[in-house]
Amino acid sequence: MRYRDTGELHLDFHRTTNGTIAYLRRRHGLRFLDGVFRRTAQEVYRSIWEDLKGGDPRQLVKHWRDEIRLTVTQCPAVAYLRRRGIRVDPAFCRQTIAMNRAWSEGTPFEITTEVLGKGRCIQTLRRRAR
Amino acid sequence: MIPSDHFVRFYNEVFKALDARGRRCLTDYWREIGRLQKRELAARFRRGGVAAAREYWQRIIREENCRARIVKRPGGFEFRMRRCPSLSKALDNDATPFGLYCDHCMGWIEPVMKAAGLYAVMDMISRGEARCVFLVTENAAAAQEALKRARLPSTPYRPDSLPPRQPVRAQPASGRNRRQKRER
Repeated sequence: MRYRDTGELHLDFHRTTNGTIAYLRRRHGLRFLDGVFRRTAQEVYRSIWEDLKGGDPRQLVKHWRDEIRLTVTQCPAVAYLRRRGIRVDPAFCRQTIAMNRAWSEGTPFEITTEVLGKGRCIQTLRRRAR
Repeated sequence: MIPSDHFVRFYNEVFKALDARGRRCLTDYWREIGRLQKRELAARFRRGGVAAAREYWQRIIREENCRARIVKRPGGFEFRMRRCPSLSKALDNDATPFGLYCDHCMGWIEPVMKAAGLYAVMDMISRGEARCVFLVTENAAAAQEALKRARLPSTPYRPDSLPPRQPVRAQPASGRNRRQKRER
């Protein structure tokens, strides 16, 4: 992974992410919001995308903590917001859906994100059928 | 999910996308973050005054892994950031750092402080260096004085205080006391 941040975590950034998603969705629309996630996936995490384009999913798998099929039973961000009694924006999970979609663009892989609700989802990376 | 320790790089992308739509879109967003932060902090700061604000920023130093210290000042405190983790991450980034990244900070702090009846003055020093100094005080005259002394005061909502769009590059760190300030 290109970024190696260590130390304590400021979990309250999940609240700002949620507030940002809600604001951008309402004020600028889902298309704009997805555009920001697309740029985040392809520019901030450029090395993940470049590797996927070259057929190498290892960085993304590592980002997913060593699973090719990632089953999230309790999303830490959603759990944090719920614990704090903060309404989770309906577009909150788009950060994952849109970024996974953007990472798979122009690569031999497809990444599906199945949102199951209440902070649960299944993300699957698979090679596209030839 | 965007990990909380990667959040600021997403934040940086939000700033760029909004600024591309117009400076007003950017400052409206900062106001929205200010509104959300007011909900979280203003009542606490109003009740507890500078002591509550100081406690909050002590926690920020720990949770965000800042290299910073808090120095007591008459009627308040000074937060001396020697290495801002937020700008450091925005600069250590495969995407382009946003030129006005530092300005977002006062963008949320100012509305919170106003709502809490406190004053905050931030000296960004330079938008390319991950350090700054800001004063939190209950004393309006001390705040005015600090604003006059600031090398690069952060006043994001003052007309014409934000320069035109420009890229920012990390500046090489030199001696702390003899650091050159090259503001573009």
